[in-house]
Amino acid sequence: MKELFVDSYQYRELIWALALKELKIRYKRSVLGFMWALLNPAFMMLVLTLVFSTIMRFPIPHYAIFLLSVLLPWTFFSQTLSYAVEAIVTNGDLIKKVAVPKLVFPMAAVVSNIINLLLSLIPLMILVPLMHHPFYWTWLYLPVPVLALVIFTTGLTFFFAAANVYYRDVSHILQVVLSAWFYVTPIIYSIDMMPAHFKWIFKLNPIIYVINGFRLSVYYGQLPKYPSILASFACAFISLFIGFSLFKKYQETFVYYV
Amino acid sequence: MSFDQPVIRLENVTQRFRVIHERPDTVRELFSRFFRHNASFHDFEAVKNVSLEIPRGQTLGIIGRNGSGKSTLLKIMAGVYKPSNGTVEVNGTLAPLIELGAGFHHELTGRENIILNGLLMGYSKREMLERQQSIIDFADVGEFIDAPVKQYSSGMYMRLAFAVATEVDPQILLVDEILAVGDVGFQEKCFDKLRRFRNSGKTIILVTHNMDNVRQHCERVVLIDHGSILVDGTPDEAVSVFNNLMNVEVVAAH
Repeated sequence: MKELFVDSYQYRELIWALALKELKIRYKRSVLGFMWALLNPAFMMLVLTLVFSTIMRFPIPHYAIFLLSVLLPWTFFSQTLSYAVEAIVTNGDLIKKVAVPKLVFPMAAVVSNIINLLLSLIPLMILVPLMHHPFYWTWLYLPVPVLALVIFTTGLTFFFAAANVYYRDVSHILQVVLSAWFYVTPIIYSIDMMPAHFKWIFKLNPIIYVINGFRLSVYYGQLPKYPSILASFACAFISLFIGFSLFKKYQETFVYYV
Repeated sequence: MSFDQPVIRLENVTQRFRVIHERPDTVRELFSRFFRHNASFHDFEAVKNVSLEIPRGQTLGIIGRNGSGKSTLLKIMAGVYKPSNGTVEVNGTLAPLIELGAGFHHELTGRENIILNGLLMGYSKREMLERQQSIIDFADVGEFIDAPVKQYSSGMYMRLAFAVATEVDPQILLVDEILAVGDVGFQEKCFDKLRRFRNSGKTIILVTHNMDNVRQHCERVVLIDHGSILVDGTPDEAVSVFNNLMNVEVVAAH
């Protein structure tokens, strides 16, 4: 684990440069350029708000805010994984020619998506007053769930990026896992909608502790309870520990399989 | 660093590769293979038990036939491969010119690639900014420096890559057959650079098929065959053994 922090720190400039390169290339040759990082989530929010306030009505007030408060962190999670699962494979040519710590590639994927996540919070901040939803002081708490989410995602990123080197099936399996995971996680619905005797099943899903803090602070104006905060960081660090340990164990042989 | 200490020391280095004959492409093949338990790979030793000490300031040539293990040896020195057995010790900063422009991204401009490539080689952004101007001067690509490198001619691309690798002033330079490319002017410029490198007491390891280059630039030559060192001596010794080796091959082919 020490290696993760030492190498990340030593190669911080490279990780940052690779992350910026990703964003730059994503928006290259588009007239609006970097604005798309803001416009994309803004348009998504617009569509969702229209759909859920006119066509599909849920018995939840300000449903768009309810949904977006966890959909944005979920999008970060799923986009980072979908993108980073290929991080080692797509940089295979480089890995075969330059001696560089392999962890910079998944880390760069995480960092570029953090930038996207933070940018996507800006339209949400505009939407909240527009929908006459109270702007709670608990927004200030958001850095804590963001941190837990980033750690949790980074761990899985290492795991999937490493596994995909040996079995390219992993990137396909990941897509199936992510779409199933989306529906078993209370994102479009509330866990309170579930029958009481089912709730324990949901509590086995580690990501609910991580994203719970987002909905509580943005939608309900509450802070999560200590056990829930503790659970979110426990899940985050277990993910990071397992993910990075496996990545570290196999990273020397990546070069033969990419 | 003392002068007696070798800058690169390989001790009993063996590099084994697993050659996978054929990946099972379909599920049916996968299952049939699984049940028949037949191995679909063999292990291949590209470098066998090689020990080599390279003192500071030496220009070492590595020659050998195709597939003899030259490039693998170079990649072991560069740290790309971690050898299956043996130890590798490198003292000093090292610039691998294994493939020019390996770290370049086609959508980024020349200027952006200079920074990115430097960071990949382990230099800081500040160090790269300090050297940016001398890199641009050597590369001599004019206004193209602010254009994406995908618009470069192959000559410009190589000049920029060579400039980045050498202007960072590494103590050890690993060169893999790259000087075969480019026009005469560029080659002359590169060799001029290598000569200045030598004169400033730096270590150069040159993998090449060009025996004239070996005779001209190297003071010591290692001939590799089937992954082992066959000759370790003066350029003339190594080249003559190599020529015999090639002659045998040519005669055998007839």
